[in-house]
Amino acid sequence: MKRRGRGMACMWYPIGFTVAANPSAAVVKINEDGTATLLTGTVETGQGSLTILAQIVAQELGIATDDVHVVSADTDSTPMDTGAIASRTTYVTGNAAKMAAEKAKLTLFEVAAPLLGVKPTQLEAQDHKIFVKGFPQRNMHIGDVANHARVVSGQPPIGSASFNPETLALDPETGQGKPFGTYVYATQIAEVDVDDETGEVEVVRIVASHDCGTAINPMLVEGQVEGGVAMGIGFALEEEMLFDANGRHINPNLTNYIMPTSLDTPDIEVDIVDSYDPTGPFGAKGVGEPTLVPTAAAIANAIYDAVGVRIMSLPATAEKVFKALQAKREQQPKQIGAGVPQNGGANGKPAVQ
Amino acid sequence: MADKPKVVDKPDVLQRPDILKPQAPAPLVTFPVEVVVPEGRQQTPAVGQRASRADGRLHGLGQTKYIDDMYFPNMLFAKIKRAGIASALIKSIDTKEAEAMPGVIAVITGRDIPCNSFGPSLKDQPVLADTRVFHAGDGVAAVAAVSEQIATEALEKIKVVYEPLTPVLDPLESLKLETPGIHAPSANIYGHKIIKKGDVEKAFAESDHIFEGSFRTQMVEHVPLEPYACIAQWDANGRVTIYSTLGRITLGRADVGRTLGIPMSRVRIVATVVGGNFGGKNEIRAEPALALLSKKTGRPVKCVYTRVEEFTSSTTRHPLIMDYKTGVTKQGKILGRKIRLVLDGGAYCSWSETTLGKACILSAGPYNIENLHAEAFVVYTNKTMTGAMRGFGAPQVCFAYESHMDEIAHTLGIDPLEIRLLNAFDEGSLSPTSQKLHSVVVKESLLRAAKLFGWNGLGDAGKGNGA
Repeated sequence: MKRRGRGMACMWYPIGFTVAANPSAAVVKINEDGTATLLTGTVETGQGSLTILAQIVAQELGIATDDVHVVSADTDSTPMDTGAIASRTTYVTGNAAKMAAEKAKLTLFEVAAPLLGVKPTQLEAQDHKIFVKGFPQRNMHIGDVANHARVVSGQPPIGSASFNPETLALDPETGQGKPFGTYVYATQIAEVDVDDETGEVEVVRIVASHDCGTAINPMLVEGQVEGGVAMGIGFALEEEMLFDANGRHINPNLTNYIMPTSLDTPDIEVDIVDSYDPTGPFGAKGVGEPTLVPTAAAIANAIYDAVGVRIMSLPATAEKVFKALQAKREQQPKQIGAGVPQNGGANGKPAVQ
Repeated sequence: MADKPKVVDKPDVLQRPDILKPQAPAPLVTFPVEVVVPEGRQQTPAVGQRASRADGRLHGLGQTKYIDDMYFPNMLFAKIKRAGIASALIKSIDTKEAEAMPGVIAVITGRDIPCNSFGPSLKDQPVLADTRVFHAGDGVAAVAAVSEQIATEALEKIKVVYEPLTPVLDPLESLKLETPGIHAPSANIYGHKIIKKGDVEKAFAESDHIFEGSFRTQMVEHVPLEPYACIAQWDANGRVTIYSTLGRITLGRADVGRTLGIPMSRVRIVATVVGGNFGGKNEIRAEPALALLSKKTGRPVKCVYTRVEEFTSSTTRHPLIMDYKTGVTKQGKILGRKIRLVLDGGAYCSWSETTLGKACILSAGPYNIENLHAEAFVVYTNKTMTGAMRGFGAPQVCFAYESHMDEIAHTLGIDPLEIRLLNAFDEGSLSPTSQKLHSVVVKESLLRAAKLFGWNGLGDAGKGNGA
């Protein structure tokens, strides 16, 4: 019979390396028509980070994402970057890209200031225009300013910058210190069906509330969460590299190493928690890795809720859950007509190792 | 005489009654109203837009060029001979027969690598094993041939003589100081981290309840859609261009320069669009070997790992053994927590130090715990190396601290949501390392998830028996 259970898990996760310097540098060039190019040494590994970086640069320059072309991942032409690791691209490379864009923008402001009859500090860039703060009708198109900068002023707008999260070394004796610039938080709640005859677990639904600071692109945040949850389901229920007694990996293929497919992926409800981090670009932190962190824990808690067996080791395969259920049944005294049997609960429940 | 006004050609006009008829005025608004909304990519302000990805169209049309889609004139194909034995001394490697095969252009072994060691923190990993095999997926020779099939066949012709050693496979066994060191002469513990705060024993003495639990997690692979792939091209100026599925080109260039003994200015690394990383592509693999094969043959050399190699010869997730002891009040407030973590570090260090640090710092959970003692060890075993993988130890410790939390909640009869809200961080809370935390929204995430889910206290089994 299928039993339904619910389980929750929350987590915290840092952005960037543990104490160690993990800088990113970036270069932003503004073209004569007001579009821009970002040079970054980070790598697009499928997560959409280059789109996020384009959005950050576009926001700083007051242009659209489509107006920013990103050149990436070539050691000959792009600046130093610690890379696509540690959920750091939006926060660290994003900060560097924002600062580089700001420097290029200041050149535009210097060029535009005399044309608009104000000081550079009185200018703002928004909606493809450079305008006087508080007087948006006094404006110039960013392309006109950029062209003027090149053709008349001889100041091609270009900016470079680097960013490294502020950390403090950990005391070797006590581990006290400031290892990371910032952290994100999340909660996932899983609903599962456990077949108490076979031990098979089916994840029915996952609700995922994630903090990423400002969501630079909510669609890409949702994509990360959905992918992370799928990966977390594999970690919770199926995936395991097995070795023989001689240390040889015995299931190095996708026939025997079982991963969740789209059919194993439940309804995933993604919720982005309102949050703003003053140290991140436009308040953003990151979201890549944390998305799978609480999934397995939530599923394990849901299994307990459904059938009263505590999974102490992952993955919670059907065999393991079945054996735990069997052990639990054997442990229960067979009482007929002696009142309500004492089942499950915290006392006398078997643990699976 | 003035020109006569031109006579309007009446008959023609009459034949076109539409001109004579008064035209109905065009409606001011036509329904349905068609408003052209620019895509998210084209809108300002850019931040917060659901902007589509610039690479999305190419992916959708199947036009993205991955490394396996790239060909250069005269390109050769490389394959790597794997040890297939977890722990052994290499007595000899005979490549003569393979080299004599038609279509085989070059064969190299670890002895051809100028500096045969690399690693992001400890330089304990050979590009190709030369004297000692540390795990079954170690490469011992690399072949470049005119086709993948010939290169694969040539691997069979390479004769390696091993002196087998007893492999150490259990991390707890490896942790014992009397166990022979895998990377002799030192012990197998290659990383240790400790976090101490307050007085744990005193806290346990003051607690109403003590809970203990031992949790374990398994080794898993990243399984990216695109396996490791690389093309190396050594040019006549002695400069090498490497196209690789690398998530970290800066570190990759440093490692390639170091292992080949050439200045970084002579190394160019280009990471094309990478088909999935998840932490498994954060360090070099066969780049130096391919560069040398290209140098030796004067031709570009490509290597794409098989799925088997992706499992056996790339990094994986650390299995953890996690012992938890927690003292709580009757109300469920955590007073003290003691944690011991043992990480199975596999054959090489790779990103173990980062994983060790993050796992240890995060192991207490997002909770205010004034008395904490967390200690973590990472040990070598003769298994596939473990390294960076999405979460760096966090999914493992989260499984432990959140399972443990539910144990406590169920025993004390407290709702799992309530016990978490009671202990969770607030704005300005101090982390286990006494870092003052900012923009903390763990309680908000708990409450929002509970509301969205429709959380209403304990479920069936929590109340009785899953009925």
